[in-house]
Amino acid sequence: MTLRLGLGVFGMQAVPQRPDHHVKLYRDLLEDADLAEALGFDSIWLSEHHFWFDGYCPADIAAAGAILGHTRRLGVGTAVMLLPMHSVEKVAADATTMSRLGEGRLSLGVALGYRDAEFDGFGVRRKDRGKLMDSMLPRLADACRDADPPVPLYVGVATAIAAERAGRLGLPLFADSTMTATELRTMLDAYNQAAATAGVTTPPAHALQRDVFVTDDRERDWAALLPELRYMRRQYGGWSFPQEPAESVPDYLDRLEADIEAKLKNLILGDTAMVTARLREFESLGFDPIVCRSQFGNLPRDLLRRAIEGLGRVRAEVST
Amino acid sequence: MRLGLGPIALAGSTRASLEALAKAAVAASFDSVWVAESRAGGVGGGLAAAAFLAQLVPIRVGAVLDGGLYHPLHMAEDIAIADVTSQGRVEVLLRGAPEEHVRLVLAALSGAHMRIDGPTLRVPARLEANQPAPDALALNPRPAQAVVPVWVDEAMQAIGRDLGVGVAAAWRADTPAPAPSGRWPGMLLCAGDVAAADLLRAAGKAASYFLVDASSPENVRSAGWRLVGPLRMPGFPEWINQQ
Repeated sequence: MTLRLGLGVFGMQAVPQRPDHHVKLYRDLLEDADLAEALGFDSIWLSEHHFWFDGYCPADIAAAGAILGHTRRLGVGTAVMLLPMHSVEKVAADATTMSRLGEGRLSLGVALGYRDAEFDGFGVRRKDRGKLMDSMLPRLADACRDADPPVPLYVGVATAIAAERAGRLGLPLFADSTMTATELRTMLDAYNQAAATAGVTTPPAHALQRDVFVTDDRERDWAALLPELRYMRRQYGGWSFPQEPAESVPDYLDRLEADIEAKLKNLILGDTAMVTARLREFESLGFDPIVCRSQFGNLPRDLLRRAIEGLGRVRAEVST
Repeated sequence: MRLGLGPIALAGSTRASLEALAKAAVAASFDSVWVAESRAGGVGGGLAAAAFLAQLVPIRVGAVLDGGLYHPLHMAEDIAIADVTSQGRVEVLLRGAPEEHVRLVLAALSGAHMRIDGPTLRVPARLEANQPAPDALALNPRPAQAVVPVWVDEAMQAIGRDLGVGVAAAWRADTPAPAPSGRWPGMLLCAGDVAAADLLRAAGKAASYFLVDASSPENVRSAGWRLVGPLRMPGFPEWINQQ
């Protein structure tokens, strides 16, 4: 059975260890999209954050526009847009226009967001994000369904509560990469129960994001990846658990480290056969497409290109 | 003098229709190709479409944007990403944007560390509920261009001149083009069949930027043939286009 593979997720970060200019980063992204298209990937996915020094992409649909113009077949998705910080009318109008220009290749993943400073920039209280999502999602879902061509809409989730929100609307999930198989099952149960209570039809499958790196030399590539993964996870952790005013930097780094060790273990690192088998396991839980994150911050170009080529071999395997 | 194609309405446009017009503009030596949103009709994505277009053609790309309908920081972020992905080829015309929004977009694009207390917007909002809330914020990434060319519509002429952005107006017979403002020429939005002599008369002694709304590739070719020579060279010999 064919499993669709997406390539992701691109945050377009000029990380401290490799602070490339953003003109180069986006040129590299278009090259990576070319390679993904040539290797037969289903899609490529962008991520969103705001006001961070490394230039994390704050405008996914604009960036998607460049990829849609540059490519002809590849899908382009957002993983994920932070919907409560946006105007839902703007997102709907932007997405439906770009779906038409992109000939149906745009998908939207949307989620709550979690960093107070980003909400504050847009004058939104973080604590209102759930209510905002409840009010925005049905309107966005209607606009996406009615668009010509329609825009596939996914709800980004990392908890059962968020899954229940999507379940009440029967919208497919975009499950976070940090969740274990057990957590995913629990979340799907909560989703299905909410959907059944609401009396809505559930989609045939959900999307999943996984950290994946295909390699024939685990030891060598783990050594290369660890500092990149650690930086990326510290950054996300730093946004989720900000440093306390009285907390020293070493104490804070220790606290972050405790949070990220478990998440680092979720990385699927192995050869084509091993990665294929692991992705099939997630497919059997009900996930398709699976968006494989091989870009961690801003990897060295040769390392990332090798990872994409490796994933291309996995894609060939899961297409049969 | 500068010559742009458009603005092409995004409503109803497809990749094929946009690409055909944009490529005709390149072939006819236009300086830029523009698209226009119509948010009242649910058609947005002007900057995403400009980023899209920049992958199809090597010339500058412009977007006519409906302002005042969403947070101006999102507009600034869209401009920055469209500019970075196009390697510094983006231009914008804001219509219907309140002064406060235009000021905020320009401040954000400048890369300033912003702490703004405007009539309706505080940036950052510094809400008690958000902790930690920043004292200031900055747009990242910044646009590729040191200064993104921005025009505002004629109704905002006084504000535009105060802010040093360009002013754009619709073509009217025997009416001069808007005067240059800041670093930018006045912009005139014209019909596809406009005559070179009329444009030169509207420009007078100032540089102007003419957006010509030619609606088919053939009309683009015809407009380019008719306008490019006379706009680029004073006293352009008529016989050249009549060979």
